[in-house]
Amino acid sequence: MAFVWKLVRDQAIDELRRDTVEESEGLVAIYRAGGLPALARTIDEGRANGDRSRIVAVIAADGRRVAGIGPAIVGSGAPAPTIFRIGRMGDSSPWLEREAGYAVREVGPYRLVSGRLLDDWEQEQQGIERALAAAMLLSLALGIGGGLIVTRYVGRRLDRVADVIEGVASGDLSRRVVNPAAGHPGGGDAFDRLATRLNAMLDKTERLMTELRIVTDGLAHDLRSPLARLRAKAEVAVLQADPAQREAAMGGLLIETDLVMRMLSTMIEITRAESVPRDRLAPIDPAALMEEIAELYGPVIEDSGMRFEVGIEAHPPQIVLHRELMTQAIANLIDNALRHAAQGGEIRLGLVIGPDEARFQVADRGPGIAEADRAQALRRFGRLDVARSVPGAGLGMALVEAVARLHGGRLELGDHAPGLIVAIVIPLTA
Amino acid sequence: MPPVTRKILIVEDDSSTSAYLAKGLSEAGFAVESCSDGRDGLFLASEGIFDLIIADRMLPGLNGIAMLGAIRAAGVRTPTLILSALGTVDDRIDGLNAGADDYLVKPFSFAELTARIDAIFRRVDRGAGEGQATRLSVGDLEIDLLGRTVARAGRPIQLGAREFNLLEYLARHAGQVVTRTMMLEKIWNYHFDPGSNVVDVHIGRLRRKLEEGFAAPILHTVRGAGYRLSVEP
Repeated sequence: MAFVWKLVRDQAIDELRRDTVEESEGLVAIYRAGGLPALARTIDEGRANGDRSRIVAVIAADGRRVAGIGPAIVGSGAPAPTIFRIGRMGDSSPWLEREAGYAVREVGPYRLVSGRLLDDWEQEQQGIERALAAAMLLSLALGIGGGLIVTRYVGRRLDRVADVIEGVASGDLSRRVVNPAAGHPGGGDAFDRLATRLNAMLDKTERLMTELRIVTDGLAHDLRSPLARLRAKAEVAVLQADPAQREAAMGGLLIETDLVMRMLSTMIEITRAESVPRDRLAPIDPAALMEEIAELYGPVIEDSGMRFEVGIEAHPPQIVLHRELMTQAIANLIDNALRHAAQGGEIRLGLVIGPDEARFQVADRGPGIAEADRAQALRRFGRLDVARSVPGAGLGMALVEAVARLHGGRLELGDHAPGLIVAIVIPLTA
Repeated sequence: MPPVTRKILIVEDDSSTSAYLAKGLSEAGFAVESCSDGRDGLFLASEGIFDLIIADRMLPGLNGIAMLGAIRAAGVRTPTLILSALGTVDDRIDGLNAGADDYLVKPFSFAELTARIDAIFRRVDRGAGEGQATRLSVGDLEIDLLGRTVARAGRPIQLGAREFNLLEYLARHAGQVVTRTMMLEKIWNYHFDPGSNVVDVHIGRLRRKLEEGFAAPILHTVRGAGYRLSVEP
């Protein structure tokens, strides 16, 4: 406020100073050209406009006014020449009461005093001060009122978020903040964005919890049968009297143990894939990755009596991938195809690069999955009943799903007419 | 049998694993010394008198990776094999990047461990001697590493690039057991367990090429362990 006031005042004085100095220079020039009579004439002409605050006076050496408008006696003696100053001058009304801004110039034996009484800009200034005070009061009132409204509004919006957090904390993971801006990226205000983020976080938490439950259930289920077999074989081995047969039985124990170990390491790999640091991923050529897999698995597929086809798009862009996990995921898909679609007689490995995503595909000619069952199959990580006949298959698909998500992508099931086409879809922007 | 008794340092805090290792390795003809924490391990290893260090990754005092770092920083180049229950792909790669010569996940089969120890010693010996060899021969099998050609009893054998790498690896470890995981790691650079019989299929193809039309087998299956390239059955 004070700053604004000072700014206005300084500006007004600056303006007055400029006008006064300009005017006095003009008058001095007139004096030089035409002497006192010309100056007096000019002043008289100026008087006609009736501006009562104006001062233009020629003062003699004893301080008396010789010509112009101004106090009759300026002081005892001629005023000292000055470019511009603010002060009182003269001994009679109205010049005694008010300050003036004026210049004093030497013109021959005289002094030329020119300037303006301060009253009009002083009034302006008072007006400004009153306006400023009013504005301050008004803004204070508005501020208090607005503050109350905003506080209530913010409180209400935050309460909605707090309610959801409270609900989640007490175990209801399905609670979400009602969010009208949902589905409009960048839409809504900060609260909507907070709600969107919170909902996304809850979605992820809920999915992780569900997944954890599925993996744990699945693991317990999957571990039961090899452990049962392990136990049975151990029993047989213990009871075996013949050393050669006992050794064979022991070999069987090792195979079952390895199976259990493999399932455990797959599960660890799945849970780790949720939190793999980004620096584990590196830009690599997806075609080279697929060719290496084709090279490793081609003979395996052919030896199992199936045809193996590879369709890899040439010159794909580099993609940021976790080479080993991606390879393992695709290997799992091939393994699944080998197990469930052997009668189809064909496995096709494909890499398709779209405008904004890459599809790593494994297609077979097996029984496929009916369209109605696909969504559920994906949700339950391929834990279909057919998969149940082979231990660990559910975990394998769970790993594929986790790897797809690690890369910001997804798992897709499609119709290969006939057969199943499973694709790990990775966005190219990631 | 090694010409001189090799000395192995075991740094393992789990006493039953440590005893199992010490017993098995002693029976295999190695001189074994054990300690149970990272600081003692570092102290013993710094003497530089061991031919191999087998270290657990999670140790009291100083973990295996940090201990290995300190040993390497002290200028001791003793080959080191890390044993760990941390078995994800990234864990393995971290262990190898930390300067370990090999990484084995617990629980392991003893056959896998001895195969890897043999491979490390073979590599060390080769570093001293035949490192720059341009030809390898196993019985009547001749491998030209520069021309990448293979002949058995003078008859050329056509191999694919990967088959050649596989054969070269087996030949460099001729007479020793090479496990499936060792081949997956060295030939294909994969550190996960593919679960199915992928390596067996590749070995089967290689074996057919090496043995079809010849009287004696040369690529043997070692039950419960892996494969061995050798003229002796």
